[in-house]
Amino acid sequence: MKVEVSYRKKLQQLKTREIKKQAKNKLEGLDSEGATLQRTTEDIQRGKPLNPELVEAASAVASSLPLNKKQTESELLAQLRRHEETTDKQKKGGTVNLRNVISEMAVQRQSPSQRGVRLSSRISLELDEDGQRIKPERSPESSDSRRSLRVGRRLNIFTKASTETEDALETVSSPTIWDLEFAKEIAAMTAQPPRNGFEEMIQWTKEGILWEFPIDNEAGMEDDAEFHEHIFLEKHLEDFPKQGPIRHFMELVICGLSKNPYLTVKQKIEHIEWFHKYFEEKKELLQEM
Amino acid sequence: VLPSPFTRQVRGRYVDWRMLRDVKRRRLAYEYADERLRINAIRKNTILPKELQEVADKEIANLPRDSCPVRIRNRCVLTSRPRGVKRRWRLSRIVFRHFADHAEMSGIQRAMW
Repeated sequence: MKVEVSYRKKLQQLKTREIKKQAKNKLEGLDSEGATLQRTTEDIQRGKPLNPELVEAASAVASSLPLNKKQTESELLAQLRRHEETTDKQKKGGTVNLRNVISEMAVQRQSPSQRGVRLSSRISLELDEDGQRIKPERSPESSDSRRSLRVGRRLNIFTKASTETEDALETVSSPTIWDLEFAKEIAAMTAQPPRNGFEEMIQWTKEGILWEFPIDNEAGMEDDAEFHEHIFLEKHLEDFPKQGPIRHFMELVICGLSKNPYLTVKQKIEHIEWFHKYFEEKKELLQEM
Repeated sequence: VLPSPFTRQVRGRYVDWRMLRDVKRRRLAYEYADERLRINAIRKNTILPKELQEVADKEIANLPRDSCPVRIRNRCVLTSRPRGVKRRWRLSRIVFRHFADHAEMSGIQRAMW
C-alpha cells in the first residue's frame, strides 16, 4: 500500500536525522570539552578559575579521540571559555543571545507533500457566492503551534511600551470651538474637487446620495431582534383584562402585528402601548356599561 | 417653508401656495398616520362595544383636517398642475413631453410601432 511505503520512508528519514543530530551533538560536546583544556592554559593567563572537573573531562575525551590530542584539547577549552564569557555577560547585562532564543525552538521538518498541502490551503482560489474568496478558517495561533505563546522564558527582545502616551491623551480637554473650526478648515482644504467621474461617485457614496454596490437590501435597517420577539407578542398583553371584548380585540391586533414584516419590534410594542393607554383613559366609560 | 413670525421676505421654493398647502397636508398626514390607523381600527370593529366606537368617531373628527391622507393631491412637482400627472415621474404631461423630446428622460423614447 502506498501509505505504508511513505510511512516507512518517513521513519527512515527520521532515523537518519536522529543519527545525524546525535553525531552533531557528540561533536559539539566534544568540542566544548576540548575547549576546557585550552582554557586551563588561558585561565592561568587571565586569572579565572575553570571547573577542574570539566578540565579533567576534557582531557579524558581528548585522549579517547583518535584525532590530534593537543589540538582537540585546546579547541574544547576555547569553547568552554566562550561559554563562560557569555554567561558572565548575561549575568551583568541582559544581552540577547540568539542561542538562548533558538535553543528552545525545535526545527520542524516537513515533507514536501505536507508543504504543498499547507500552501494550497492558504491560497484558495475558491469563490463564494458573492464573489469573495473563501479564506481558510484560522484556528487561534496558540493552538496551531504545539507550543503556546505564553509559555517559556522571557527573551527581553521587546521593551514594554510606556503608558505615558495614554495618560497624555487623557489629560487633553474636550476640543474647543477653535479646534473644531481648525479641523473643518483642514478638511475643506484637503478635500479637492473630484478629478474624474469615479471620484465623484466615491464622494456621492460617502455622502449617501449613491447606494453601495452590490446593493444590500437591508442597508440602513438594523433589526437586531430575533424572530420570536416579532411573533410571540402575548407577553405584552399582561396589562389587559383576560376576558371580554377588549382582550379579543387585542389578540386580533397581536395576530396582525405578528404577520407584519415591515415594523420593528419597538414599533409593535409602541402600538400595543398606545392601545393600553387609550383603554386606560376610557376605563370610566367602559365601567358605566 | 411655513411663514415665520419674523418679518422678512418670504420666498419659498414652491411654485405656488397650493403646492405649499399640499406640502403641509402631506406633513400632517405623516405625523398623524399612526394615530389615525389605530383609532380607525377601533372604529371599524364588530367586537368592541358601540359606545366606544362612537367615542372614537368623535376623536378622529377632532384631529386636524389636514391630517387625513385623502386631502393630498398628487400635483406636478415642477408646475403644480393638479391634473394630468403621471405618478411614476410626478410630472404633468406637458413637462414630461418637454423633457422627453429633449432626451432628458432616461429610457423614454417616442412610441412607434
